[in-house]
Amino acid sequence: MTNSLLKPSDSALHTSNIVSTVPLVSIRNLTVRYGSFVALNNFSCDIEAGCTGLLGPNGAGKTTLIKTILGFIQPESGEGDILGLNLKDRSREIRQRVGLMPEQDCHIPGLTAVGFVAYAGELAGMPADQALRRAHEVLEYSGLGEARYRNVETFSTGMKQRIKLAQAMIHGPKLLLLDEPTNGLDPKGREEMLELIADISKNKGVNVLISSHLLPDIEKVCDQVVVVMKGQLVKAGTVKSLRSIDGEPLDVDLREESPLFLAKMKDFGAKAISLGYSSYRVQMDGTREETMFKIMQAAQETNAQVRGIKLAQRSLEEVFLTAVGQ
Amino acid sequence: MSQSSSPIADLSYRHYDGPLNAPVARWWSIAKMTIQVAIKKKAFWGWSIVSSWWYLILLAVFWFMDNVAGTFGAPAEGGKNPFLSQIIWKDQFVHGFSYSQMILMVVALLVGAGSIANDNRSNALLVYLSKPASRFDYIFGKWLGVFLLISGVAITPMMIFYLYGYMSFQDYGFWSSAPWLFLKLILVALCSGAVHASLSLGISSLFNQGRIAGATYAGLYFLTYIFTGIMGGFNAIQSFGSDKPPTIIKQLFYCSVDGLQIGMAKLIIGTNGSPVFPGMTPGRGRRGGNQVDMSEFIIGIPHWQWIVPVTISVVAAGFLIAWSRVKAVEVVG
Repeated sequence: MTNSLLKPSDSALHTSNIVSTVPLVSIRNLTVRYGSFVALNNFSCDIEAGCTGLLGPNGAGKTTLIKTILGFIQPESGEGDILGLNLKDRSREIRQRVGLMPEQDCHIPGLTAVGFVAYAGELAGMPADQALRRAHEVLEYSGLGEARYRNVETFSTGMKQRIKLAQAMIHGPKLLLLDEPTNGLDPKGREEMLELIADISKNKGVNVLISSHLLPDIEKVCDQVVVVMKGQLVKAGTVKSLRSIDGEPLDVDLREESPLFLAKMKDFGAKAISLGYSSYRVQMDGTREETMFKIMQAAQETNAQVRGIKLAQRSLEEVFLTAVGQ
Repeated sequence: MSQSSSPIADLSYRHYDGPLNAPVARWWSIAKMTIQVAIKKKAFWGWSIVSSWWYLILLAVFWFMDNVAGTFGAPAEGGKNPFLSQIIWKDQFVHGFSYSQMILMVVALLVGAGSIANDNRSNALLVYLSKPASRFDYIFGKWLGVFLLISGVAITPMMIFYLYGYMSFQDYGFWSSAPWLFLKLILVALCSGAVHASLSLGISSLFNQGRIAGATYAGLYFLTYIFTGIMGGFNAIQSFGSDKPPTIIKQLFYCSVDGLQIGMAKLIIGTNGSPVFPGMTPGRGRRGGNQVDMSEFIIGIPHWQWIVPVTISVVAAGFLIAWSRVKAVEVVG
């Protein structure tokens, strides 16, 4: 099964360094096994420029996909191109263009923050002087400017998350792979990390693939979503398209509950249901403007006061639960 | 996210579009960092200096015998210093190297034992291998760093003593008795570096705590050292006894971490060894009450047929253990 995502948001298109017609990641029929356990089962997907969320329950194969992209794991079968480079024989070049923020805490013992990040840059191929200069910049950007000369082993969980991000982006990767970036963070730290990721993705032209099982995080920063379940792709698309509901119903908020309004809308031929207390979901044939006109007409005739009308959308959680069949 | 109070004037984050070296030979960056981390440790410098203790004694003794004691007593033939005339120069390097063995092991513990183990603990492999560095780059880089450090620690006092001997004792055959000694000493130091680097890294890769890896390496060293000591004891007892010591004991003497290196040093330098200073000969044994034959008492050059392959195997084994243990991903069954 090959699913192609819809085009990314305008902002992602404008800021992306990648030509939008070529997928960032193109995976075809990939199978990865750990012994007898099949982690990815004939997995196929295309991921386009922008910020993409990789969703799935624990053990779905998200981290395996990331590790396969990086060449840590050799697939049993299948093909893939990452940034136009073949997965199987150009893994080193892929790793030079990609940055990984792993799920686990990781650092190199005995180094200060700036030493660690600069060393990561050197490993990626940056000349030593450039790596050091850039390490200062990246640490500042990540909010670790004042802690740059501290040994990384003394860092708090939030700081360790930030330095993992800093070492991943030191060499200016075209694609950042973030594995559970908000793990272990308190609400404030989580918010800041998501802001940082959103800024990297929307304003700095870096394409981001976030693996997470925290749906609000994905919903907040991602343009697109790939849902993985038992090593297979079950859903893919833009967040907007996945959240939209067939027939584009409208959610109407009234000042107070009004059975008359509901009855009137049904008289107009609409599919209308109560969402609880004073909220109603209304769907009609015709344009959105025509539907809104009927809503206002029904409100006027039933003396209901309309407080708000918006396009009805599913939450990402609903999308996810539907996709994974729960 | 940037902080306005920063001492850096330009805080604007930019995408890096500067040069990137080709994604090959990352082992050199890893070797450099291994060295940089090690030389920041005061203990490394302290133990490195202590490892040269026998060369310092030799320097003091030879300076004294050359400049002070040489004026006493009857001069040897040609007006030479009788003490210095009896010195076998290349053997002095074997002594110095032998006596520094245990301290070289301590240096190996400091720089090598935690090298991979601490990386395992801190998941550093994910950092290394997510960059364009291969498993070979990682292991060889670590190995090279430890190898260069230990070789450097082994060779520095040798070279200082060599320089002193070369400048002061040409009349006593320092150069003429062993013209290739300089190169042979480099080879000895490199051999020591290779053995320590491979063993310490191989053991380090088995653990995720540097201290446990260090304790294991030290345990291996001392267990084999005790074995060597027992073999040396047998040899000494038999030398004074009624029978000649069996040849196998003289070979088994080298079956330890430091024994291998001392054996290789003797093989490379080309000497059986001799008493530390002239006149230090063994006493009289039971064989007719005669002076014990030096060739029996001293444990000479080991047979190259076994010591060279064993040394190469030990070096390769350490590397292979590390190779088998270092993985970016834990593969589950």
